[in-house]
Amino acid sequence: MRKYLTLFGLSWQKQLEVRSDFLFERARSMAVLVSIYFLWSTLLEKQSDLMGYNRVELLTYVLIMTLLRAWVLGCVSDRIPSEIATGKLSELLLRPISHMGYWATQDAAMKSLNIVFAIPEVLVFSLLMSAPFYLPHHALTTILFGLSVFGGMVLYFQMSYMLGVMGFWGSQSWGPRFCFEVILEFCAGAYFPIDILPAAVQKIISALPFPYLVYYPLSIYLERLSPAALLSSFLHQAGWIALLAFLLNNFWKLGLRRYAAEGG
Amino acid sequence: MASTFRKYARIWRVLVLNSFKTQVATWLASAGYLLGKILRFGFFLAYLLGIFKHIPNLKGYSMPEVVLFFMTFNLVDVGAQFLFRGLYGVKVLIEEGDFDKILTQPAHALFRISVMGMDLLDLLTLIPIGGVTVWALTKLPHAVSGQSVLMYLVLIANAMLMAYAFHVMIGALSVKTQEMEGAIWIYRDLMTLGRFPINIYSEMMRGLFVTVLPIGVMVSFPSEALLGLLSWKGLLYACLLGGFFHLAAQGFWRQALRNYTSIST
Repeated sequence: MRKYLTLFGLSWQKQLEVRSDFLFERARSMAVLVSIYFLWSTLLEKQSDLMGYNRVELLTYVLIMTLLRAWVLGCVSDRIPSEIATGKLSELLLRPISHMGYWATQDAAMKSLNIVFAIPEVLVFSLLMSAPFYLPHHALTTILFGLSVFGGMVLYFQMSYMLGVMGFWGSQSWGPRFCFEVILEFCAGAYFPIDILPAAVQKIISALPFPYLVYYPLSIYLERLSPAALLSSFLHQAGWIALLAFLLNNFWKLGLRRYAAEGG
Repeated sequence: MASTFRKYARIWRVLVLNSFKTQVATWLASAGYLLGKILRFGFFLAYLLGIFKHIPNLKGYSMPEVVLFFMTFNLVDVGAQFLFRGLYGVKVLIEEGDFDKILTQPAHALFRISVMGMDLLDLLTLIPIGGVTVWALTKLPHAVSGQSVLMYLVLIANAMLMAYAFHVMIGALSVKTQEMEGAIWIYRDLMTLGRFPINIYSEMMRGLFVTVLPIGVMVSFPSEALLGLLSWKGLLYACLLGGFFHLAAQGFWRQALRNYTSIST
């Protein structure tokens, strides 16, 4: 455990090493918040609710969505393909830690930094804009929201790691990865709630793992899910995590058999 | 003059061809990137159209007008990426010592760096953008005058000049500090604030967007001109601001080069 804690500390140091880049990265996340917040705020100027959301719910969705973009959708394992292509993986394989553990620790370090910075950013923005904020009526909601966010973090890490492992089969995975991330962001509800889409599209998206990253955790927080839908969202999330764990394990083993340590 | 033009045309052709060959060699990555861009465009458009099923207008703008703003944002964004992508990589050029080689070559360094990353595939994304723009224009309640079209074209050219100025400034920052790689991405993200008409933002932000952070001048002004909402004074102001940013960027670049210490050679 100590070695992972050391790695965690080193990851923090590395990310804060080039502070200007880190601050720019944080500022980038604010651009999405500002554009989407003002869009919804303007849309709700003349009407009390829109597409089944009232003003408080929708603006809270935008604010928490910004936090979840930082916590759930932030990931560092996109470097795995270059690690495979350049042979740097060989060095990692010789270390007394698991490869997935190595990246999971780096991922956790990045997410914890994002948590530390994203909360005050969103808080300051909310205060400046005097943004209304929805507070759940039941204490249990907060716990369920936390569980769902944690599940989302695990799920996103698995997907990102899986895309990284695809680097064993080709060195050009960054293009498909970009495409995948575009689809993921929209289907996850990381720009707009997916229930503003036609019912048929919602049904297709709900069958995919993406909405369990942002949309369902947020729907839990806003207490918009019935008990049955709540249970279904947790079961789907857990199901996807189990399926991806199984697939990852097998892809990793198959990939290692192909690995030729080129350049390493 | 003519021989200088021919020389630069030849350099442009060689570098663009090299860039295109790289893209063909990494076809899977290029195809994924292109598809991702087209999908992102399509998703945003679908959401916009979805929203307008529930509201009559956005700050007084009808659906085709808002789509026009979104298309102009895409045009400026894609155009700048196509033309100036090479300036994203100044930091890497410095780290690998290639920057020194470029400085010694008998061509303007900024031109050389700008065109070396030119992405011809970006041009393909202009096909859906052009198609949707034409569709939005046919749906406008009033016909667009020739004068408005002329103002639109001038303002798009001015927006490209300003985009170039920002790319040069970020390149100069890389030369000065070697750690401003993230600045280009913040520019890109700030530009996305222009996806929607700037009238949706607060008064203070609108003030920023037409002065120090001229996203509004770059993206909203052309659309306003096309809709007949921008005066000649607005056009003149935009061009003066474009000229100012261009001169400032050139001065900043020269100053960065004067302080450059050939760090990796």
